[in-house]
Amino acid sequence: MTRFMEQPLGWGNFLVFAASAVALLAVVLFAVVYLIYFERKFIGWMQYRVGPNRVGPFGLLQTVADVAKLLLKEDIIPKRADRDLYILAPVLAYFPSFTVLAVIPYSEEIYFTNLNAGVLYYIAVSGLTIIGVVIAGWASNNSYSLLGAMRSGAQMISYEIPLVMSILGTVLISGSMNIRTIVLEQDGWFWNWNIFPQFIGFLVFVVAAVAELARTPFDLPEAENELVAGYHVEYTGFRFAFFMLTEYVYMIAMSGLATAIFLGGWHAPAPFLDFIPGLVWFLIKWAFCVFFLYWVRATMPRVRIDQLMTFGWKYLIPLSLVNIFLTAIFMEIVR
Amino acid sequence: MKGLVKGLGVSLKTLVSKKVTYRYPDEPLKMPDRFRGIQHFDPEKCIVCNQCARICPTACITLTGKRNPDPESKQKLVIDTYDINFELCILCDLCTEVCPTEAIVMTNNFELAAYSRDELFKDMAWLAANNTNVRKENHPVKTAAKAAGGGA
Amino acid sequence: MTVRTEELVLNVGPQHPSTHGVLRLILHLDGEVITRAEPVIGYLHRGTEKLAESLNYTQIIPYTDRMDYVSAMTNNYVLCHTVETAMGIQVPERAEYIRVICMELQRIASHLVWWGTFLLDLGALSPFLYAFKDRETILDFFNELTGARMTYNYMRVGGVKWDVPDGWIEKLKDFVQYMKKRVNEYEALVSGNEIFLHRVRGIGVIDAKTALEYGLSGPALRSAGIKWDLRRDEPYSIYDRFDFDIPVGKNGDCLDRYQIRIEEIRQSLRILEQALAQFPPDGDIMGKVPRVIRPPEGELYVRIESPRGEIGCHLVSKGKQEPYRLKFRRPSFWNLQILPKLLVGQPMSNLIAILGAVDIILGEVDG
Repeated sequence: MTRFMEQPLGWGNFLVFAASAVALLAVVLFAVVYLIYFERKFIGWMQYRVGPNRVGPFGLLQTVADVAKLLLKEDIIPKRADRDLYILAPVLAYFPSFTVLAVIPYSEEIYFTNLNAGVLYYIAVSGLTIIGVVIAGWASNNSYSLLGAMRSGAQMISYEIPLVMSILGTVLISGSMNIRTIVLEQDGWFWNWNIFPQFIGFLVFVVAAVAELARTPFDLPEAENELVAGYHVEYTGFRFAFFMLTEYVYMIAMSGLATAIFLGGWHAPAPFLDFIPGLVWFLIKWAFCVFFLYWVRATMPRVRIDQLMTFGWKYLIPLSLVNIFLTAIFMEIVR
Repeated sequence: MKGLVKGLGVSLKTLVSKKVTYRYPDEPLKMPDRFRGIQHFDPEKCIVCNQCARICPTACITLTGKRNPDPESKQKLVIDTYDINFELCILCDLCTEVCPTEAIVMTNNFELAAYSRDELFKDMAWLAANNTNVRKENHPVKTAAKAAGGGA
Repeated sequence: MTVRTEELVLNVGPQHPSTHGVLRLILHLDGEVITRAEPVIGYLHRGTEKLAESLNYTQIIPYTDRMDYVSAMTNNYVLCHTVETAMGIQVPERAEYIRVICMELQRIASHLVWWGTFLLDLGALSPFLYAFKDRETILDFFNELTGARMTYNYMRVGGVKWDVPDGWIEKLKDFVQYMKKRVNEYEALVSGNEIFLHRVRGIGVIDAKTALEYGLSGPALRSAGIKWDLRRDEPYSIYDRFDFDIPVGKNGDCLDRYQIRIEEIRQSLRILEQALAQFPPDGDIMGKVPRVIRPPEGELYVRIESPRGEIGCHLVSKGKQEPYRLKFRRPSFWNLQILPKLLVGQPMSNLIAILGAVDIILGEVDG
């Protein structure tokens, strides 16, 4: 990819970029299908049961069947809903999730852009999803979805701040906001990975990421038991599938970000294991991040909305500030 | 913090333990002998005493008898029609408990789902034909001593 | 357009994932805070008490199973015990032991259902499955004993219907040992979890005076600090032969009710151990009962401790085979009365925790 980027932009280059974006979209959609499948399987295994196993061999076609069902459903738009906003909301929620995949470096050769403000781009663009969510809740003209959208908006906005600030520590260490540079700075043995010097930052990042993704224990927006699915309760069929797709693509993106920034990206844990391609290492670490999200979902109960806000503002933000402060002092002393 | 980690540990342990789900309906589910499933009726044994219809809490049994065509037998009445309405039957087993001749007994079959309610009104022919998995122990044994001596 | 704030009237149920049945709550909300809550019940009313007026006592027993369907053995027992007390029938030893074993096993099963669904409402997906895995084992025991998994129709006036099958007692002994370890695992999974503790600590506080005024019973009453358990204070059956503790709470909040129920599972296991050890090797399972059951004319109220509280049976008999009036004092109905009082001023998420901790079964609320 470096090759194509260094040449001046011509038709050949453009076609390569466009084709690789489409390829990434296809891979991501395929990955989402199997992420959903594996989530159900893993959570099932953690609950003494086997998860889906009837549709297709080992249940592999389960999500395909689910998506087919969603596609074939009647498209209902509530009569009193704000029609244009109702249709716009899923699109607004989905497109940022796909666009942020551009800045994550998957391996030394496979990356889609080399933005010098990669971290900033990621955080800024992922914030656009919140608009989509709030619009969905409002346009549905339903008290339950409005409550859900308000909760969701409050949660996502509050936890963006600790998310950014926890990454700032690594930016200070690596000296750049370019995610590719951050990964390159973590080469060598596994103790060079940013998780070790930035342990507090990593913990804050984990909590803030789970809250950003609206996964258990922070899944208030879709607290099925309390609000009967929150902001997307009025959405059926493929519009609902968009929201689910958004959530899972964000899971891919956030796990990718965590792998790149804290876990050393495509680097092997030890230099002598370099013969295994970088992409494989990236995928292994990424898979572990995703598995961790499933594991937490199977175990934890949900926090309450006011406890969530208290926790974010009163504990996570000061903790991440302390982290940045300590990192800055450390950098001054060492450099 | 510690509580959270302990909880995660329990989930992880369960991840690798044996699964407890059954492979029903691919593998049939075996019920213990005493299981109260759908009834089996043997018209030969019935003496039309009407106890089952009287005891039924939901009044789901309807039966009629007729004069015994065989003049030499001691039994005055034989069974003519015998219907159980399975929309009402709660499989409580009281009819089996009171039947003096074990004409109505329960089986271990429980699969009765149908696409139409009409199919849930079972007549004598169907009940007589439902003779797989018939329960071996139909009357409670009054004392354990009798059970040890007589064998259930 | 002027901006004004309005009270939101939200309808929770009757079809809702966490109302444990068909309960409808009309909530008046000010933002997220509940200002008024009105339970609307009756969606599951099946007329058990009216039906009982035209059925004889043995025929009513299957109906009692279906009132509090999660703890059917205690329902069976309350009816049988009432009639036996009215007629003065002696129940043989072995039958009493079998009854106590069944009731305590049922208490464990009922508390497992409560634990799993309470945590499911709070968002934890796994404890539900763990609880039901163990409850399956208990239901299999009941299946072998009575022939059904949930609506047993097992107890009769004067004893029980079937004797225990071979090997049942031994398997049950193994199960008791296994279950003791499992309860510790449940505590490790949930009770120390900080998120869970934040959700239930200090929520839905009931003080002793309110509890007595509302006629609460069971764990709700004991969480307010009142040590009252009918198995200890008005012993029925052979409970006076067993050694067990009554857990009592201090603060009256949801956490106390949670811990009381977990501790009750442990105490039930203790009673089971003792009962299994003392189990008579032989004996009758049915006492001397007249052919036709006709309690003498009069009225009688008998109460026992079900997993949800005090279940009582008020029998008015005119000397016939059918009761003149049979009324069940159902604990879930009484315990539900305190819900409107507890909910005022709470945010909506606490609704779920409070409703779950009260532990109602709609079959019992509506009858």
